[in-house]
Amino acid sequence: MGRYTNLMLEIKGLVVEYRTDDETVHAVNDINLWIEKGKSLGLVGETGAGKTTTALSILNLLPETTGYIVDGTVSLDGEPIIKKNREGKSVPALLDSDMQKIRGDKVAMIFQDPMTALNPIFTVGYQIAESVRLHQKCSAKEAEKKAEEMLELVGIPASRKDEYPHQFSGGMKQRVVIAMALACNPALLIADEPTTALDVTVQAQVLEMIKNLRDKFGTSVLMITHDLGIIAEMCDEVSVMYAGAVVEHGSLEDVFDRTRHPYTRGLFNSLPNIKDRTARLKPIRGLMPDPANLPMGCAFADRCDYATEKCRGEKPRKQWLTDSHFVACHLYEDGKDEDRL
Amino acid sequence: MAALIILAIIVFAACTADLFWDYQKDACNINIPARLQKPSAQHWLGTDEMGRDMLCRIVYGARASLTVGLAATTFALLIGGALGAICGYYGGKLDNIIMRCTDVLLAIPGLLLAIAIMSAFKPNIFYISLALGISYISKFTRIVRSAVLTVREQEYIEAAKAIGAKDHTIILKHLLMNCMAPIFVQYALAIGSRILSVSTLSYIGMGIQAPTPDWGNMLSGARAYIRGNAYLVLGPGIALLLTISAFNLIGDGLRDALDPRLKK
Amino acid sequence: MTEKSILLDVQHLTKYFHTSGGTLHAVDDVSFQIERGKTLGIVGESGCGKSTIGRTILRLLEPTSGKVIFDGTDLTALSKEELRKMRQQMQIIFQDPFSSLDPRMTVSQTIAEPLKLHGMIKNKAEREKRVLELMATVGLAERLYDAYPHELDGGRRQRIGIARALAVKPKFIVCDEPVSALDVSIQAQILNLMKDIQEREGLTYIFITHDLSVVNHFADDIAVMYMGRMVEKAPAEELFEHPIHPYTQALLSAIPIPDIHTEMKRIVLKGEVTSPIEPKPVCRFAARCAYACDECMKSEPELINVSPGHWAACHRFA
Repeated sequence: MGRYTNLMLEIKGLVVEYRTDDETVHAVNDINLWIEKGKSLGLVGETGAGKTTTALSILNLLPETTGYIVDGTVSLDGEPIIKKNREGKSVPALLDSDMQKIRGDKVAMIFQDPMTALNPIFTVGYQIAESVRLHQKCSAKEAEKKAEEMLELVGIPASRKDEYPHQFSGGMKQRVVIAMALACNPALLIADEPTTALDVTVQAQVLEMIKNLRDKFGTSVLMITHDLGIIAEMCDEVSVMYAGAVVEHGSLEDVFDRTRHPYTRGLFNSLPNIKDRTARLKPIRGLMPDPANLPMGCAFADRCDYATEKCRGEKPRKQWLTDSHFVACHLYEDGKDEDRL
Repeated sequence: MAALIILAIIVFAACTADLFWDYQKDACNINIPARLQKPSAQHWLGTDEMGRDMLCRIVYGARASLTVGLAATTFALLIGGALGAICGYYGGKLDNIIMRCTDVLLAIPGLLLAIAIMSAFKPNIFYISLALGISYISKFTRIVRSAVLTVREQEYIEAAKAIGAKDHTIILKHLLMNCMAPIFVQYALAIGSRILSVSTLSYIGMGIQAPTPDWGNMLSGARAYIRGNAYLVLGPGIALLLTISAFNLIGDGLRDALDPRLKK
Repeated sequence: MTEKSILLDVQHLTKYFHTSGGTLHAVDDVSFQIERGKTLGIVGESGCGKSTIGRTILRLLEPTSGKVIFDGTDLTALSKEELRKMRQQMQIIFQDPFSSLDPRMTVSQTIAEPLKLHGMIKNKAEREKRVLELMATVGLAERLYDAYPHELDGGRRQRIGIARALAVKPKFIVCDEPVSALDVSIQAQILNLMKDIQEREGLTYIFITHDLSVVNHFADDIAVMYMGRMVEKAPAEELFEHPIHPYTQALLSAIPIPDIHTEMKRIVLKGEVTSPIEPKPVCRFAARCAYACDECMKSEPELINVSPGHWAACHRFA
């Protein structure tokens, strides 16, 4: 991995658990993620794969009473966020107050549901300006002006800055959220399913907007989604997550044209083919395993057409097939980059 | 669980009291020479100001309280619940009319309403139950209506309609069954509330009349003699406390027991 | 299309809601026909009226005006009891697998309920057999017979909904976004299942969705709705290859394609959906349309037959 320099985000060996009285949920199981400056990484997976947990860990925003970072390190633009202390335990590297300075400023996050991301009792202008005021030394007037600028940038007339969230539609609310997120010109934008709750034409508008802003400011983006179409359009590299682990990672060409992992292939097969409308869908049988009760071997073995005894008994390790493409699957243990599916 | 046991003991005792005492002689007859005796081997909880055995009166008193409690609450539930269900399901003008009447009833303090009703009739158990029941109808109407309104919006109600269920099936089988939780809790709390109310009525003399033993009128009778004779109020007081608490706990327990979501 | 082969004939169906702000035109004068054994896909975005129209056809919502002729019978003219009996022939599958099942009823009770309501199988043992048959058809394991909905995941719950709809052997099923709430791999399982059942039982479907790639795969004909009106209707392949209405074009171009070699020529619509409350009698899409002309702002376009089987409501083709 020394081939990657100039990293905006680097996650190594992250393990996250949610612990309650009844059970322990293994949400994230030893993943490595990295994003180069100015690039976009797509994190794709289905419900329960651990994508949101990963994102929250970057900002150290896991629920205090139940979320535990059991292992791993996270660093942002070279600066450690989660580090290992002298005993080898993973701990936050920054004080909460320092962490707060980073959130919203250096790293901004957009969540899936714009309905709940905005505070209903404050105007949208106020909320954007608040974000600016918190992180940049400027007067209230200057912050307000910046808020107006951001609204215009996302396609909302600045005159609407004194309106309340409920006066906007879903798509516009999400744009306000994006305006807030980008107000302080963050180096890293984490977008967690930003368009899932939106209509497809609105989604088109929002995605175009994110692309423009990203190109304009050179923002690095972590795009979390289950939609492979969005990944194809927005991202440079892709990490596929399943049951808390990254099962395949590579550039767009690697993952889309030279799919190696059976799960990734299964995802592609599950999608209706626009070009051949009558072709029967090839779904993946079964369900994702319960993250509180993960099997001993490969988590995908039960649903995999290529599974062997070894798969059920032993967890597959990461295997680099090319400089940019790796896969975690026993089929590729010899490291050869061949289509074995 | 513990609540159920306590309640079972109280009910059992109330029912079997006749085995231990003779109602007329022990609970009602005035026996002045034996009055105001502190608890002893002969009278476990002492005797009251009229010389009657306290334990005996407390046990008999349970009868009145339980009867009124159950009767009044059930009456209120049936009438109030039916009104609430109709309001919630059909809505519209009917809902408006019924709810405004309910609001009027609610505006009158419950106890005063009961007293007002009682003043028109003879103070026997039937009329007391009726009065206390009427003054509680509004609460059930509101609760059932709001529960029905919530459940009515659930898609499975629409699904029931879509598969061809008749209105009454939808209301009884799907709607009300899923409203059980708040209704049951309210039912149990209501019994507790009604028992307290009947005791209050008896305390002020408008409820169960002497010499019939009732916790309320026992407390009332003991008023003049409390100083120095704490046992006079402890007995009925604790009996009230235990009974009402028991019903409250049972309400919670029932709700949990009836929720299939908690069945693992 | 002969008279006999048309199962559903919707004529000028309209549904308005009265709100404090005015009349909400949820469905406005929509007409179409569906042949036996075929699937009509109805697509559109939020607020276009697609869910409302599904329910209005079944009279789960009462139509404001219009007729629905189902297999020769005018549903809008039936009494409450006649309609109730008719429901055995027309069923609905809901979008939300969580709220569409009564949480107090087990899997078998939910599936058996329609059988009991229509008095179809009086014998208890036979009913049990039929329920197990249905469970097998939809892919629910036998051991789930006495399970409760909350114990199961979205995919399995949706299968219960499908089994319930199939129980009384209907001729017609309205599928209201049946897979939208499910993960991609589960969606594919359910779609295959629904297609298999349709072929086997000769069912007619209305498939309501916002997902164009799914509807392309599933439907024979597709109707596109915008703000309560049907703006285009065509056989699926034709619609995707030659979309005529500007809205359809924008909709199709907006679908993100999971293919890195296809160039996305995306039409980004300007503005927002206008309010469906008291809409003016002009083309409802005009405000956002790149091709809007004077005529568009003056009157509402009617559906015109542009080519065989292909209808569009746009002044450009008048």
